[in-house]
Amino acid sequence: MKKVSSLSELGFANDVHHALFRPIQEAAPPSPTKRHTKISVVGAGNVGMAIAQTILTQHLADELALVDAKPDMLRGEMLDLQHAAAFLPHTRILASPDYSVTAGSDICIITAGARQLPGETRLSLLQRNLALFKQIVPPVAKHSPGALLLVVSNPVDVLTYIAWKLSGFPPNRVIGSGTNLDSSRFKFLLAEHLEVNAQDVQAYMVGEHGDSSVALWSSISVGGVPILSQLTKDKAAMEQGVLERIRKAVVEGAYEVIRLKGYTSWAIGYSVASLARSLLRDQHRIHPVSLLAKGFYGIPEDQEVFLSLPAQLGRSGVLSVANIQLSEEEAARLRRSADTLWELQRQLEI
Amino acid sequence: MKKVSSLSELGFADDIHRTLFRPIQQAAPPSPTQRRTKISVIGAGNVGMAIAQTILTQDLTDELALVDAKPDKLQGEMLDLQHAAAFLPRTRILASPDYAVTVNSDICIITAGARQIPGETRLNLLQRNLALFKEIVPPLARYSPGTLLLVVSNPVDVLTYIAWKLSGFPPNRVIGSGTNLDSSRFRFLLADHLEVNAQDVQAYMVGEHGDSSVALWSSMSVGGVSILSQLTNDKAVVEQGVLEKIRKAVVESAYEVIRLKGYTSWAIGYSAANLARSLLRDQHRIHPVSLLAKGFYGIPDDREVFLSLPAQLGRSGVLSVANIHLTDEEAARLRRSANTLWELQQKLDL
Repeated sequence: MKKVSSLSELGFANDVHHALFRPIQEAAPPSPTKRHTKISVVGAGNVGMAIAQTILTQHLADELALVDAKPDMLRGEMLDLQHAAAFLPHTRILASPDYSVTAGSDICIITAGARQLPGETRLSLLQRNLALFKQIVPPVAKHSPGALLLVVSNPVDVLTYIAWKLSGFPPNRVIGSGTNLDSSRFKFLLAEHLEVNAQDVQAYMVGEHGDSSVALWSSISVGGVPILSQLTKDKAAMEQGVLERIRKAVVEGAYEVIRLKGYTSWAIGYSVASLARSLLRDQHRIHPVSLLAKGFYGIPEDQEVFLSLPAQLGRSGVLSVANIQLSEEEAARLRRSADTLWELQRQLEI
Repeated sequence: MKKVSSLSELGFADDIHRTLFRPIQQAAPPSPTQRRTKISVIGAGNVGMAIAQTILTQDLTDELALVDAKPDKLQGEMLDLQHAAAFLPRTRILASPDYAVTVNSDICIITAGARQIPGETRLNLLQRNLALFKEIVPPLARYSPGTLLLVVSNPVDVLTYIAWKLSGFPPNRVIGSGTNLDSSRFRFLLADHLEVNAQDVQAYMVGEHGDSSVALWSSMSVGGVSILSQLTNDKAVVEQGVLEKIRKAVVESAYEVIRLKGYTSWAIGYSAANLARSLLRDQHRIHPVSLLAKGFYGIPDDREVFLSLPAQLGRSGVLSVANIHLTDEEAARLRRSANTLWELQQKLDL
């Protein structure tokens, strides 16, 4: 059997393996039902690589494939991960500009996307990303017809809608990272102030991942205790508009990091790895993610819009959407978020 | 108690914590022997941040401090890590251009360093880094007089020597990342070719982390089986200098990643985190790291030179140096490596 490894190119003996290791007699080939998990990440930029590295460290997959249009950078990133082999559980790492490297993926994570040029309208940015997704999504869907698609590129809600349309997949298998990270930022702020562990704070941001996101104040709980009544009890301690200022601070959080270090990477890496784990390991955990929201929370059945709602995630994708009691204001804001996204989507030519 | 959190700046009620959570009666303050582990990383560039993020993901420490001369970039990186709070165990993350933030560290990891300008001599690069280390090391040593110093900046062997001199620490507490990563790359190449898990390959590269590194072929084993005799059975391997080609490929692989993606980050991140774990958790594991090598393997007692040897690491730093049997050629190469480094050190004005 002709080996293809870096060492054989250097003249290393090809049959050493047989000399050192021998299978037991009459061994059968692996069972066809044996599961080998594979995650593909499209886009090897800061976000894609932070996601890939976190997935690797957390040992979430047996195989990791990277795709990017820049072959040198891609190869460098692949080698940099492979060189850590002595410190990591054995994961097969592949990389290619050709989408065939993604074949047989359980999850395909799309991070590729054009960045907003100064002065560019959102619609224009979306048109450019639509063109890019027309190159990305069809081959990804072709090579892994049963995969879960996880869209991270921004603006994530409309791009998840686009990915859904271009893939032909059922809507439960097309998810956007949405407000999963915004909710983490929200929890971080609350946890820091309340001196508790962020994982004990249940606090969702839903709707658009962006300016019209909705903070579900009425359903926040800490250690199982709903706290909105505590917050609003002492009117003197809570001036007008504090809650809205906090929501804006969460939305601003991403822009602040971009202003300071040029981009965000680590937090979105952990956020997406957390989603990948819930999906791949069938965890049935609830995450606020961008999904086909029509028919939920008063969003009309004919508005095929993607936005974030708290959803139960598992191996087949979105298992269900949680039915949380919203205040009237929260419900109104959510419908406004849906309308904004719906208007934007209608202007695209898909 | 006046709270200082992002939310209190936004007007969030200050006394909420006491309303929601109350301590039990007659609770005593924490015991003075209660240990919170702390790791500081100096330099928030690609290498420093990959190390910081890996340490965070692997839950190695209670507190993580970042230092860099660029305050905006530093603040951005800190926020990006903090925003992942919902996905990580609770770790306190601090950042400041002021070394006071590193006080009472268990380990200080130095990644800051000037990069080689095209055409610059190694000596010149070293003089520039010496100047930088004169600003970094004394305050680190002052704020954490009992800390372990882990130097990652290149050229790591001479910079570890410099850090030792500038800190005034005993030599067992000053370590360079050395050939820990080279050995991982070496093991990756061998494991890939032999189709085994890299963690089953024992193969050390020692000496200088650089061109004159030494591959210890005679002590390499796979699954406990010594394999050099298998390799050298093949006359072609011996005649074509295959072993030396492989050693060069390992040395070259870092340059290859730099050429392809601009820098290396992920692999060194895992390598340094791996060392941090062995040190902090007193693992007594053997790693090839840069240490004060005088008196070992025929290196003269008056040669205060740092280079990589396989060493047992634990909470107090370098516990011991392994006494591996070297062939005459390996021993000669190691002494040449030591001479090269010694010559270079002599030219510095420390």
